[in-house]
Amino acid sequence: MRNKKKRRQYAFVIRQLTAREMKRKYARSYLGILWSVLNPLLSMAVLSLIFSRMFQKSIDNFPIYYLTGYILWQMFTGATVSSMTALTDNKQLLLKVKFPMEIFIVTRVYTAVINLIYSMAAYAIMLALFGVKLKGTVLWFPVILAFLVLFSLGMSCILAVGYVFFGDLKHLYTVALTLWMYCSGIFYPAQQLEGFIRTVVFYNPIYVYIRCLRKTVMYGQIPAAGEFVQMALWGGGICLAGWLVFQKNRNRIMERL
Amino acid sequence: MEIEVQDVTMQFKKAKEEVFSLKEAVIQKLKGRRSYELFTALSNVSFCVARGEVVGIIGTNGSGKSTVLKIISGALLPTKGRVLVDRDKVQLLTLGAGFDPELTGKENVYLNGALIGYTKEFLDEKYEEIVRFAQLEGFMEEKVRKYSSGMVSRLGFAVATIRDTPEILILDEVLSVGDMFFREKSEKRIRSMIHGGSTVLMVSHSTSVIRKNCTKAIWIEKGRVQMEGDTDQVCKAYESMAGVKV
Repeated sequence: MRNKKKRRQYAFVIRQLTAREMKRKYARSYLGILWSVLNPLLSMAVLSLIFSRMFQKSIDNFPIYYLTGYILWQMFTGATVSSMTALTDNKQLLLKVKFPMEIFIVTRVYTAVINLIYSMAAYAIMLALFGVKLKGTVLWFPVILAFLVLFSLGMSCILAVGYVFFGDLKHLYTVALTLWMYCSGIFYPAQQLEGFIRTVVFYNPIYVYIRCLRKTVMYGQIPAAGEFVQMALWGGGICLAGWLVFQKNRNRIMERL
Repeated sequence: MEIEVQDVTMQFKKAKEEVFSLKEAVIQKLKGRRSYELFTALSNVSFCVARGEVVGIIGTNGSGKSTVLKIISGALLPTKGRVLVDRDKVQLLTLGAGFDPELTGKENVYLNGALIGYTKEFLDEKYEEIVRFAQLEGFMEEKVRKYSSGMVSRLGFAVATIRDTPEILILDEVLSVGDMFFREKSEKRIRSMIHGGSTVLMVSHSTSVIRKNCTKAIWIEKGRVQMEGDTDQVCKAYESMAGVKV
């Protein structure tokens, strides 16, 4: 009974904190939340302008191919980059409030998910506009997303703890993300890669999530068993690792802050 | 006993040179010296607080008195020793936790309220009362960025003190905020909380505040309990050490 009450209170806190993040993000813009919809559209327009002719032969619907990858990538980077500073940003609060620290990381990840949901409005419009015929396989979307959220949550915890001890992590991670993005097959035909880099890309968890989403939305296929296992293992494994890192360092974090 | 602090020692590891970057950490590791300096904030502190007692902790700045509160409220884990207390009963009174200037007054009430443990239903029910107490009728839809500092602290105070008095109340410095009129009102409310029958633990460096409110005093200096007992005696001893009447 008491635990149930606590969980409800945590959920209330997360909702309130997320509302704050969203309002703060768009506090000084006229279009506000609309940017969450416009952003992927504009990015898609730019990339399509440059690459859609180039990859005409290998990708038959470049704008959708790109957008599918982009919204997942945005959700992952949005979650991890903002979570990295979640503990240090809320230093004062952490000392005053009785909640577990994870709440602040969950909030940032949740904010990224909300953002993704707005982006999906843009995605839906584009799917209709480009005449993509959806099949029942699209029901896999929430499953894929759930695994990606777990993966992001784990990464976020690890990064947030790391950042408390090493401020440089922020800059290192920016560089790492650039590399990671190019290895995620977001705007080029990953199937055509060969050799070593092909192995890297195909084992990259983010690319697995993106590839599966493309399969289910664009081509009406379901993820292969191997892909499903990969998604589940990466999601569950990283999430568990993040949680362990957190538990192990809980006290040291408070001292360091 | 409502709160039992048993032989609590709190040490902070302080790296001799603050290592905040990876580069420095690697360099230091290679050099084979990552020595820590131990900073002892509290050493072997023990005391008890009985149900219904109002206990004041005094001490100069940096004596470790706020650290005691953080350990009791559960924000820090002690290096050694333990604290026996029912954490669900403890409430640390904090003003304006999480206030955000970009949000409206109303949004801040809900955010701040959620953070200090109010449910949504409770806030819905008490909202009008909070606004009335803070004297901010007609300003609640404005962004807090546009508030005066007095208005902000009034709102923070109103939210923090709207609750039914908890069984164990912890106060870090007694709070009175705002202009003269509001100050009177806020002091009155705090006093009624303190004397509402709950167990109170408060920290202050002002002996007059302790004298006015407490039934027992504890003097902590340099992380050790110097003296414990009758409010007046402890305050006198503290004043004569400090050499000034605070």
